[in-house]
Amino acid sequence: MKPDEPPAPHALLNADELETPPLTIAQLTWRRFRRHKMALFGATMLFLLVLYAFAGTIFFSEAYANKTDTKARLQPPSAAHPFGTDTVGRDILARTIYGGQISIIIGLTAMLVETIVGVVIGALSGYYGGKLDSLLMRVTEAIIVIPQIFLLLVMAKYFGGKVPNITLLGRTFSGSVVVIIMIIGLTSWPYLARIVRAEFLSLKENEFILAARAIGTPTHEIILRHILPNSIAPIIVAATLGVASAITTEAYISFLGLGVRPPTATWGNMLEGAYNYIENAYWLWVFPGFLIAITVLSINFLGDGLRDALDPHSRAI
Amino acid sequence: MKTKPFLRSIAFLIVIFSLAIAACKPATPPPTEVAPPVEETEPVAPPVEEPTQAPEARKVATFIWTQEFDTLNPLYTNMWFSSITQQIWNCWAWDFDDQNAPHPVLVTEMPSKENGGISEDDKTITLTLRDDIVWSDGEPITSADFKFTYEMVIDPKNTVASAYPYDLIASLETPDERTVVISFNEPFAPWAASLWHGLLPEHVLRPVYEAEGTIDNAEWNRAPTVGCGPFTFVEWESGSFARFVANENYWLGKPKLDEIFIRFVPDDASQIAALKAGDGDLGTFFAYSDVPDLEAAGIQIIKVFSGYNEGWFFYLDPEKGHPALQDVRVRQAIAMAFDRFSLAEDLLLGLTQPAVTLWDNTPYADPTLEAWPYDPERAKQLLDEAGWIDTNGDGIRDKDGVELVLTYGTTTREVRQDTQAVAQQQLLEVGIQLELVNFDPDLFFSSYGEGGPAAKGELDIFEYSTTTEFPDPNMADFLCSEIPTDDAPEGVNWESLCDEELDALFRLQATQVDFATRQQTFYQISRMIFEKVYWLGVWQDPDLFGISGSLLNVKLSGATPFFNIFEWDLAE
Amino acid sequence: MTRYIIRRLLQAIPLLLIISLILFLLMQTMGDPLATMGGRTVTRSEDRKRLTRQLGLDKPLIVQYLYWLVGNDWTKLDLDGDGILETRGTRRGVLRGDFGTSLVNRGVPVTQVIWSRLPNTLLLMLTAEAFILILALIIGIYSALRQYSFLDNIVTTITFFFYSMPVFFFGLGVMYIFAVNFKKWGLPYLPTVGMFEPEAGKSTSQIIWHMVLPVATLSFGFIAGYSRYIRSTMLEVMGQDYVRTAKAKGLPRPQIIYIHALKNAALPIVTIVGLDLPFLLGGAIVTERIFAWPGMGRLFLDHVSRSDTPVVMGILMMIAIAVIVFQIITDVTYAWLDPRIRYK
Repeated sequence: MKPDEPPAPHALLNADELETPPLTIAQLTWRRFRRHKMALFGATMLFLLVLYAFAGTIFFSEAYANKTDTKARLQPPSAAHPFGTDTVGRDILARTIYGGQISIIIGLTAMLVETIVGVVIGALSGYYGGKLDSLLMRVTEAIIVIPQIFLLLVMAKYFGGKVPNITLLGRTFSGSVVVIIMIIGLTSWPYLARIVRAEFLSLKENEFILAARAIGTPTHEIILRHILPNSIAPIIVAATLGVASAITTEAYISFLGLGVRPPTATWGNMLEGAYNYIENAYWLWVFPGFLIAITVLSINFLGDGLRDALDPHSRAI
Repeated sequence: MKTKPFLRSIAFLIVIFSLAIAACKPATPPPTEVAPPVEETEPVAPPVEEPTQAPEARKVATFIWTQEFDTLNPLYTNMWFSSITQQIWNCWAWDFDDQNAPHPVLVTEMPSKENGGISEDDKTITLTLRDDIVWSDGEPITSADFKFTYEMVIDPKNTVASAYPYDLIASLETPDERTVVISFNEPFAPWAASLWHGLLPEHVLRPVYEAEGTIDNAEWNRAPTVGCGPFTFVEWESGSFARFVANENYWLGKPKLDEIFIRFVPDDASQIAALKAGDGDLGTFFAYSDVPDLEAAGIQIIKVFSGYNEGWFFYLDPEKGHPALQDVRVRQAIAMAFDRFSLAEDLLLGLTQPAVTLWDNTPYADPTLEAWPYDPERAKQLLDEAGWIDTNGDGIRDKDGVELVLTYGTTTREVRQDTQAVAQQQLLEVGIQLELVNFDPDLFFSSYGEGGPAAKGELDIFEYSTTTEFPDPNMADFLCSEIPTDDAPEGVNWESLCDEELDALFRLQATQVDFATRQQTFYQISRMIFEKVYWLGVWQDPDLFGISGSLLNVKLSGATPFFNIFEWDLAE
Repeated sequence: MTRYIIRRLLQAIPLLLIISLILFLLMQTMGDPLATMGGRTVTRSEDRKRLTRQLGLDKPLIVQYLYWLVGNDWTKLDLDGDGILETRGTRRGVLRGDFGTSLVNRGVPVTQVIWSRLPNTLLLMLTAEAFILILALIIGIYSALRQYSFLDNIVTTITFFFYSMPVFFFGLGVMYIFAVNFKKWGLPYLPTVGMFEPEAGKSTSQIIWHMVLPVATLSFGFIAGYSRYIRSTMLEVMGQDYVRTAKAKGLPRPQIIYIHALKNAALPIVTIVGLDLPFLLGGAIVTERIFAWPGMGRLFLDHVSRSDTPVVMGILMMIAIAVIVFQIITDVTYAWLDPRIRYK
């Protein structure tokens, strides 16, 4: 911590912590975090889910996940296919593994896009204020005003089929993955931008910023080294929850038929056709649906724990 | 601001009140123990509902449609669900029966050379109307209605869906109330399949046209209370249902059913559920995979061929297309490497079979042709002969540095996506790599001008189901003049194939009014497309209708499915 | 206050213009309305040429936007393609309340298309909203008053679980259990789709019966979210001085809770309800899809799939206006309810 910064207020709070040698922010955060049982549970579950999606590749090859066998279509769970098979006889277990990778990657990268755009716009808006602020905030409002799902559907069609398939590390991905990542990222940043803007508005009037400005610290340095680190807590929390909402959003668009295109599987697009089999083939929608639900739940628990740990003053919703 | 305390207390009271309600009633929706409240609806129902609830057995047949009509005006729609509904409430000059033979409805007999209905030079067709035909409101149907319909179609102020074939008509005369004389510039072979699909009542729409200059906004388009079918339109509630009741004035016979109730559901799953639960008597357009389920529930499945065949088109532009596809041997190899037989057997549950020609199940398909066999060994041999060999050992054949990687696109329909996955695997076995892409239908079918992927040549193989002017085999998809370019972006020959010989044959058949000569021309065309694999039939794509056991006397036709609906009945 | 409202409304105008321009641009390459026109074959080239001209789709983008915005009754159009401008336009433009006519249901005004579905969506949403508020208040207050009790922990966990569950998964799940399996087991089952059974007719009891699952699906996530919110605001308020004073005065407990505490705790809810409108609409689109509810969400999906620009624009603009108006109403209500807030 820099000497000219005020001590984080929560460092003074706990009586028992005053007895012990001074703790770093990270240690303090960890202390608070591990008291949050649900958050620990969420973190563990997430670890297992990531393990499932990425270590699963050791057991099943991607070719196997995409291998069709029309003779063995729509088979209920069995020893050969623990999660059953889909409409063209592909193994659902293997597909949830490869689909999970894409879903998680979509969640993480869409969150990155969201965070970058949100932080940049929020920071510029909050720090400079004035005309730039009102212009950026009008744009932000414009995006908030249209419900995200409506905007996504229109954008998914706009970009649909415009991005060619991508080959990466010897694997082919449908170009629609990129489209989905971009449109989710580009429609979900406004809330984050507002949070960041509010943080910047309040922080930029603090004495340590005024002091930094007085000694001629360049603007970018003030933003990046002084204000941003102090507003990192709500950003981390929002970003964590952003991963969950990106995964759900991908599933929504896929469910409505405009999501990631085959052959690339995601948990969301595995649900796409499953709706027609609600009565006869529950395994088509139960497994990917359950994985989405459990992932989102874990991330929300984690986010909740992080909020309490990093930012004890904020109120949980 | 004086009102503030008052409003605050109001707001507060609302909160308290809602709490009180919540306390008295644990949940707002009725508890699940309540039996489906069919019986108790009568007393609650508003009086408007009485037609659906009359006590003695009114015979109401319920149809389940997965798409809602866009409009009911027959000139304004291309939509299949709206077109098939026309047989219920509107009339064609002639229908097609379950053998796809035309039979007269508004005319006394089908025009022919023998009865003088078709002139010697094949250019003029004379219709003689029946004496007893009337609109559902009792007004007689006369040649003036035909003339009015024609005028509305070609009027530039009306945004009709298709002006075909009326924009080819040189003149339309009505010498008397019962005669319509249609003259074409050129002999026009497909007249029977394309003329008079629906008629407009002049006495209803003429005043609208004169007042507004167009019939685009006519109330009749959404509420055609005056019709000429066996049933008459009553109401259409957006997103929910449409109702048609028996037309007492129908001249071919009083309908046995009292009412047709069409219910709109958004997808196959709801349709299947409704049919299985007995909530519907007729449903259509569901997926093959739903058939066993329906049959298990006692629903009779009727396959009706309406000319649709699912198939692969190839982008054959000599410069911009993939070089491999220019070689007929590669296309033949593709045909033999793709096991369409087991696809039809497994994925389509044996309900259909590979298509051979674009005219399968019509008299125009050359019966001596048989689908390309599944023979991957022969396919490999052909590819070797054509010089496509895997030189770099990556499992994909190549030639002159070009890999045999083809982009294969289609719409997002589930069965097509499944087909893609299967084809990809099978073609890889002979060393052809398929890159799969899917598009929403309105993107996939976009024209060249709108940047449609198939029209623009971005797809080496594109799959969809298409039909001719069923039951007539005429089609424009292979004409050189239809190749889309920057100057003519609306062309429909997306293969960009210009085979002079094929082009000439297609142009010839359109003018051959005589059936036998035209049939021979089509045999030639079929054989040429088949042998050169300009199009590869994947499966015959019949319309599926599911019919409950209680619906009687049902006959279905490809072009006009409900041609005998006035004879349908419900079992007690 | 009046001046504040007027200022907010004036600010909304440029915002709506920006939104409309962005959406209009997005809409142009969303798809080709003339590709098949809902049919199963590609539109014939002559018809495509004619319709492009008649519907004005051949005009430059900016002109199309202008016609959409201000109408085209001040200019003449060439409908028959002879190069002569002879027909006067009939559109009056959005600014004069004319959202154009649908491309799918050609000739039918967009407003009419939307109005035919709007009541159904409103019915679903208002019922859901009432349901959400009532249940969230009960659950929220209950868990706040019995903080850290066994039941509170259970309720918190369950609400968290529901809060995280995607709408469609919940929808499919309840449909599978209460409609499909209840029927299989011979129990009284709920209907899966639609607003009423055709045989029974469109009666009140039928509609209520068919609303059970959609309303439950639409509201579960919000109940979970709101009850957690109410719980925390209640907890905060219960610790305030005036509540302590009320307790010290010996007021009856219900009076403290429902009059002193709840009144203040309910304030933030007003904001949330107002601001969550877009989310509720988003949930409605999925719910309407699953349960075949003939509302705006399904209308939107149907018309997006056929690239019906005027209708899609109409729906989105109306939603935008509704959301903005709701934001203003929320702010104003908040000011009315909370005497500490003054707008200038």
